[in-house]
Amino acid sequence: MIRITDVHKTYQSGDTAVHALRGVSLLIEPGEFLAIAGPSGSGKSTLLNIAGCLDSPDSGTIRIHDQDIHQLTVTGRATYRREHLGFIFQSFNLVPVMTAYENIALPLELLGLPAAEIHERTQRIITDVGLAGMEDRRPGRLSGGQQQRVAIARALIKEPAIVLADEPTANLDSTTGEAVLELMRQLNEERHTTFLFSTHDPKVMDFSRRLVQLQDGEIVRDERKRL
Amino acid sequence: MTVRQTTILAYRNLTRHRRRTVVTATAVAIGLTIFIILDSILLGAELDSDRNIVWYETGAAQVIHHQYLKERDERNLNHVIEDQDALARELRRGGFAVAPRTVFNAEMILFRDPFPEDGNVPVMAYGIDPLQDDTVFRISQSLRDGRFLEPDEEGVLLGSWLAEDVGAEVGFPIILVTRTRDGFFQTMDLEVVGIVETPNPIVNRSALYIPLSVVDDYLYMEGSVTELAVAATAGNVALELQAITAAYPGLQVVSWQELAADYIALTQTKDSASGIILFLVFVIAAVGISNTILMAVLERTRELGMLQAIGMRDREITGMLLAEAAGIGVLGALMGVSAAALLNIPLITQGIDFGFLMRDTDVGYRLTSHFYGTWNGSTFLTASIAGIAISVITAVVPVRRALKRPVVESLRGGNG
Repeated sequence: MIRITDVHKTYQSGDTAVHALRGVSLLIEPGEFLAIAGPSGSGKSTLLNIAGCLDSPDSGTIRIHDQDIHQLTVTGRATYRREHLGFIFQSFNLVPVMTAYENIALPLELLGLPAAEIHERTQRIITDVGLAGMEDRRPGRLSGGQQQRVAIARALIKEPAIVLADEPTANLDSTTGEAVLELMRQLNEERHTTFLFSTHDPKVMDFSRRLVQLQDGEIVRDERKRL
Repeated sequence: MTVRQTTILAYRNLTRHRRRTVVTATAVAIGLTIFIILDSILLGAELDSDRNIVWYETGAAQVIHHQYLKERDERNLNHVIEDQDALARELRRGGFAVAPRTVFNAEMILFRDPFPEDGNVPVMAYGIDPLQDDTVFRISQSLRDGRFLEPDEEGVLLGSWLAEDVGAEVGFPIILVTRTRDGFFQTMDLEVVGIVETPNPIVNRSALYIPLSVVDDYLYMEGSVTELAVAATAGNVALELQAITAAYPGLQVVSWQELAADYIALTQTKDSASGIILFLVFVIAAVGISNTILMAVLERTRELGMLQAIGMRDREITGMLLAEAAGIGVLGALMGVSAAALLNIPLITQGIDFGFLMRDTDVGYRLTSHFYGTWNGSTFLTASIAGIAISVITAVVPVRRALKRPVVESLRGGNG
């Protein structure tokens, strides 16, 4: 469970203070498939970064499984991300000198798991995300959709409690984007992994089971869908 | 991540920008090559000079009067070895090759006919024992013209450059003006019997050799000499010499290094020069490496942000980037050492001819023409380690700067 309570965040842009989040509170249950929507500058990426332990709030708390993650040290937060969180980025952010297999296996390498276990889990998820036969390709030889599949596999391979995805379909065409969302939802259903993703695309919002709308740093709508 | 994975990743990142990697490694390699080659030349010159001092100037060590060393440059014959015969015999019994010598300053007077012009030249004259000298020195093996001295003849050997400077040839009469041991002026009439050409410029430029018995007569030495030169033998020369000499009060044993203090000071300066060159190599390497790593870090801002986001710790990212820097250092060291080894071969076999410089300039080294290189394994090793170390050390600053950037900023690909 993620409990976000009264989170404020202000950025300084030149002489102007930008209030990215103004007292946001949110409770996210395990296994949710939640979209944070809103126009540019509404604070959705900031909320995602704070929930993902990548940025700190000015005030308020974020508790994941009853742990206040922003009380951790820098190294502690890195360890927390390594062990409990998965990330999917808008521009995939794969390591270009690594093959698809190596990119996917990287989080397990960082966890220091035995080689046999890494191999077994990597092969399994490669099949799950439909990348079988492309393991040895480097990102430069994969399409955008395939690269995002690699990124999704990388985020899920360590079976994290939460996967945070920042506009995961923004750099994909609509068909590929839809396929990626299908995959994410399928994995959410099969593995009960909590997905928290930001978007401003109405089609993506339709895919979510819960939609949180932000505007000017405040939640203006929180809607659970019945599928 | 394991060391193996970090190494593989570093290798792949280096091959990702082959040209940049090779250019940077080349900068490191050039610096290291210069350092190794310069060290090879200077060390080679040092080893050859050491040998030429021992063979042509001082012997391995000398027994002298204890006050002779500090007044040695004046060569005033005030402090001599009185009973040199007895001491020389004892040293020979102890297994040492010994050559007695009397060294003094003189003016060589030249008259037109047969010389090209009138004049006088300051010279350094050595009274040598023609029968014993070649047990310690190699003057007799360095004859260019004429023959070696015979005992008791009023003959003289001239250094080759001195002979050329004054236009002397074998058979020319020489007049030397000097002072006797008592301080009176004395004139010596001698005939040039040979001209010696050695690899030691001091000998060629100003030395003049006369039979010891003739010097003894002219300078009223009464059997005394200024020095007993001893050839190098196995074992601890100084201690054995001191043990034998101890029975002769007022005498001391000095090594060739003490006798050639000016030259030793020069070699110490050379060590400082090598240090400066090594520092310059560091600067060249540092600029190249720093620039390359900075570019690598800036280009991969987003990638580094992603690695931080998925939980890679700063020290792991630092290790990965430093491994890349070390890779450049290793490549630079390999290239530098290989190039230096190839260049060193002709340097050792053929050398560089500095004859044009050595003839008229005293640079301190006891060499007349060719400077030869030498193999110095420790320099190759030092250069390699230094190249790699500086590569890694220089990369630390740009890497640390990159990691100080907030993760979210890196993920946006910001350069701030």
